[in-house]
Amino acid sequence: MNLFLILFGKIFVFLSSFLNLGSGSTWPGHIALSINKNFLKDTLTKRKFKIILVAGTNGKTTTGKLIKEILETNNNKVFHNEAGANLINGVASSIIKNSTFFGNLNFQYAIYEVDENTLPTLLKFFSSDFIICLNLFRDQLDRYGEVNIILDKWRKAFGKLKAKTTLVLNSDDPQIASLGKKSKAKVLYFGVDEMRKTELEHASDSTYCPNCGSKLLYKRVAFSHLGDWMCESCDNKRPIPNLEKLVSYPLPGLYNRYNTNAAVLVSKSLGINQYFITRVLKKFKPAFGRQEKIYINGKTLQIFLSKNPVSFNQSLMTVKGLKGKNILIALNNKIPDGRDVSWIWDVDFERFIDSFKNIFVSGDRTYDMAVRLKYSFKNSHQKLSVFENYKEALKFGLKKINRKEVLYVLPTYSAMLDLRKILTGKSIL
Amino acid sequence: MKNRQSSIVNHQYSLTIGWLYPDLMSTYGDRGNIIVIQKRCFLRSINTKVKRLSVGFSVQELKNCDFFFMGGAQDKQQKIVSNDLSKDKIKLLKEKIEAGTTGLYICGAYQFLGKYYKEADGNVIPGLGILDLHTEHPGEKSERLIGNIVVEVDLVGLTPTTYEVGDRKIEEKHIIVGFENHGGRTYLGKDVKPFGQVLKGFGNNGIDKTEGAIFKNTFGTYLHGPILPKNPQFADYLIEKALNIKYKRKIQLTFLDDFFEKKARKSVLQEIIS
Repeated sequence: MNLFLILFGKIFVFLSSFLNLGSGSTWPGHIALSINKNFLKDTLTKRKFKIILVAGTNGKTTTGKLIKEILETNNNKVFHNEAGANLINGVASSIIKNSTFFGNLNFQYAIYEVDENTLPTLLKFFSSDFIICLNLFRDQLDRYGEVNIILDKWRKAFGKLKAKTTLVLNSDDPQIASLGKKSKAKVLYFGVDEMRKTELEHASDSTYCPNCGSKLLYKRVAFSHLGDWMCESCDNKRPIPNLEKLVSYPLPGLYNRYNTNAAVLVSKSLGINQYFITRVLKKFKPAFGRQEKIYINGKTLQIFLSKNPVSFNQSLMTVKGLKGKNILIALNNKIPDGRDVSWIWDVDFERFIDSFKNIFVSGDRTYDMAVRLKYSFKNSHQKLSVFENYKEALKFGLKKINRKEVLYVLPTYSAMLDLRKILTGKSIL
Repeated sequence: MKNRQSSIVNHQYSLTIGWLYPDLMSTYGDRGNIIVIQKRCFLRSINTKVKRLSVGFSVQELKNCDFFFMGGAQDKQQKIVSNDLSKDKIKLLKEKIEAGTTGLYICGAYQFLGKYYKEADGNVIPGLGILDLHTEHPGEKSERLIGNIVVEVDLVGLTPTTYEVGDRKIEEKHIIVGFENHGGRTYLGKDVKPFGQVLKGFGNNGIDKTEGAIFKNTFGTYLHGPILPKNPQFADYLIEKALNIKYKRKIQLTFLDDFFEKKARKSVLQEIIS
């Protein structure tokens, strides 16, 4: 039965890519699951490879890519679901794509980046060797309701884990750090040592003790609600991380330190030699849209996917740190972006906007972003140019910069795909 | 010389905004409402002072507030707020609201002003009991009420303008747009008026077509979006109201260019129609 589904799916993938309909990252899995809802259980229970799940609001793709490259440098065979295809159907599709015609998966590792809501569902079908929980921030509340609802689901699912699973948790996110408490799984923590702030940012969700509900005390803050936290009422505090500092990091931005530390911690606990880890960190190229550079007509663009308040703040801070002067913001509200755009009011544009010289705005909801930015300037909004059309925005933006400058592009997810399509002339998903 | 100075001082209006639990009651960009009120005042040389009334604030802080704002929250946060609101605080807030202090209360805050909230499991959480309304969650299996919402309001004093969406003419004074996301269903008692009638979306309970509630100068609504950036005419309406009450005379605000705001409203309306 499952062999048939795999064969059928593989033909589907072949036809789909042959006819240029996309790479088949979700549909084959969708069909397989609708015929056999235990498809994942059947194909993964008796596996001979290790599974690493990467979950969290921000950083899944970069963390997954880092681990994959480290394992591959160590001569391991690795397969993964495609970036963005992080629901059950995406995981199922990756199995179909990577199976032999006899239904075998000849790999040592599978790395799946999983959507917040999908994680508990996946754990019902198969056990995982590693589960990395990067963070939980407010994101697309219109789809899932509240951060606490997701946390409750994770806590329940982790309560059923067995000792052979390792939970890799962010020590600096109070809610995430507490997820291992009632689990039989082994727990490892990663954090960062660079915490320069003492005050919490506006876009912070989990600043109350997960144990007793008291307001947490932060000695230092990295960003959002990530920091060196403690509860005065019940002794709950940031666990001491197993890893919080590396000699060097492949990508700028504090958020990437978390991603890198998580990836390195997993690699080390898999026994990978430091030599291979360092080698990857030195030559690592970002995943598409995550600080990816694109060169066009002698000018440089760099794309910083910015999909929720925390990732937007981090993008703005990193661009400001790179002394960027020209930014293009593209706001869409398609399903992958979240249909509701109110979250842009939780981004701290006020902290950064006056340091930029030219600000271009575009996307399906360009005027919502224009309104948001208009209210964020200290005085007038002269630096702001609004475009209904991406091409115009890109054209104008590139014209305004010289060859030494960079046009920093901060798009939401679907806007990033749209812009890349225009820039590289081909679609991704 | 002295006289001239005092006349300048006379023209300098100011508002004290009491932002209740900014770190707890704040989802969906609700702080956008504060940003918009502050900036629209600033552009008209009206001074604003925003008081952040967080857990542990003193009752006295409520006293000289001319405007209250409270945003929505996750359930867990709401319980913390509930614990912090002592009898004294509730009493003074109630007195101020009954005396006509202007205020805007969104989603969770709106529910909170009512008599009670019945949770999905049947557990009843008492509200502040200031507004004659109550909210019930019909059970975990029931759908949340999520989506774009358009409400027709009838507020005296809003300047009407008309514009076209597709082939329809819309009178702006009647239309408020926003985004709603709530599990609870609110039912109004006889002492409050609805904020508006639902043209598209769910509103208070998805059944009776009412949205929000008005009691004196207190406005409760489910509209996120946030509500004020997309509906600047309503923002000005609230500012005027707060000024009129504070200075006990009619104060007219100067005109502001709302080109981007109008375009943003139009894109929501177009999305809803298509």
